[in-house]
Amino acid sequence: MNTEMKELEKIAPELSKIKKENPFRVPENYFDDFSARLQVKLDAEQNAVPVKKNNIIRYLKPAIGLAAGFALVFSLAYWPLKTLTPNQTAESDVQEISVSDMLFASAVEGIDVNSFYELLEKPAENEQLSDEDLANYVNTNVSEYEIYSQAATQ
Amino acid sequence: MENADREILDKLKEEKTRNLAFQTLVKTYQERLYWHIRKIVLNHDDADDVLQNTFLKVWRNLDNFREESGLYTWLYRIATNESLTFINSTKKRSIIPMNDASEFLLNNLVSDEFFEGDEIQLKLQEAILTLPEKQRIVFNLKYFEEMKYETMSEILETSVGALKASFHHAVKKVEEHLKTRD
Repeated sequence: MNTEMKELEKIAPELSKIKKENPFRVPENYFDDFSARLQVKLDAEQNAVPVKKNNIIRYLKPAIGLAAGFALVFSLAYWPLKTLTPNQTAESDVQEISVSDMLFASAVEGIDVNSFYELLEKPAENEQLSDEDLANYVNTNVSEYEIYSQAATQ
Repeated sequence: MENADREILDKLKEEKTRNLAFQTLVKTYQERLYWHIRKIVLNHDDADDVLQNTFLKVWRNLDNFREESGLYTWLYRIATNESLTFINSTKKRSIIPMNDASEFLLNNLVSDEFFEGDEIQLKLQEAILTLPEKQRIVFNLKYFEEMKYETMSEILETSVGALKASFHHAVKKVEEHLKTRD
């Protein structure tokens, strides 16, 4: 028994008790067949045609990748915006027009026919109203009851 | 360097004799390398994969072999590295997070139909699996293969002193595990 084994027995009696045997086994004829199986792999590797990459493409690859990335982001973000935005603007335009129409219509409804035609015939500039104009406006648009009730509150 | 290794290397350099010389190299070392790998990865199928990868790597790197070390040492170094690469990649691929690969390796061993050890052998393997990766390799090479520290030093690129200390610690840990676990 060599000194190493004696030392081992001294520091590891439990380990020394265990019979040093190989608990592993291999399938039958494994080592006989191994080199043939390996040769198949080697042949496949040797016969594989190496793909020669174009040098320019290899150097431009990062730039092409970056450009492709931008194109993808552009197509994913800009294109839907471009196609969807005009429709949304058109819809909001329609909405705005219809609201102003409605306001205009309600304003027109509040004016009597004579005043409406008068407004159409008059020029759009600001004019000072005379006492006669004011009296006519009050006579045609405000009832006597409203005039008395206003006067009573003041 | 052994004469047989010298002859293999000389023939590997010649284009005409390269294939035949490589076959000789495989035949000469397949069994020794297999058992070295098997003791690290434990499972037969994994050992077979790693052994094939080892020889493929050897074939691809024949021109890079500078002969600064022996052929045998170079092959063992590649086999060791391939085994550790295999364990680490398995650890990374695993869905269940693993702090170390010992649990996976033990399961692999228990489920391996080509493991025929008895209870005490399984317990010994379990004890060896508690060792850190490098200590485990040192223990296997010294305890089972009875490799000289000088040879081991070339393969693992570690000083003889450090290897002796590593083996000593490994033996004590294995002994401790064998004592405490019934």
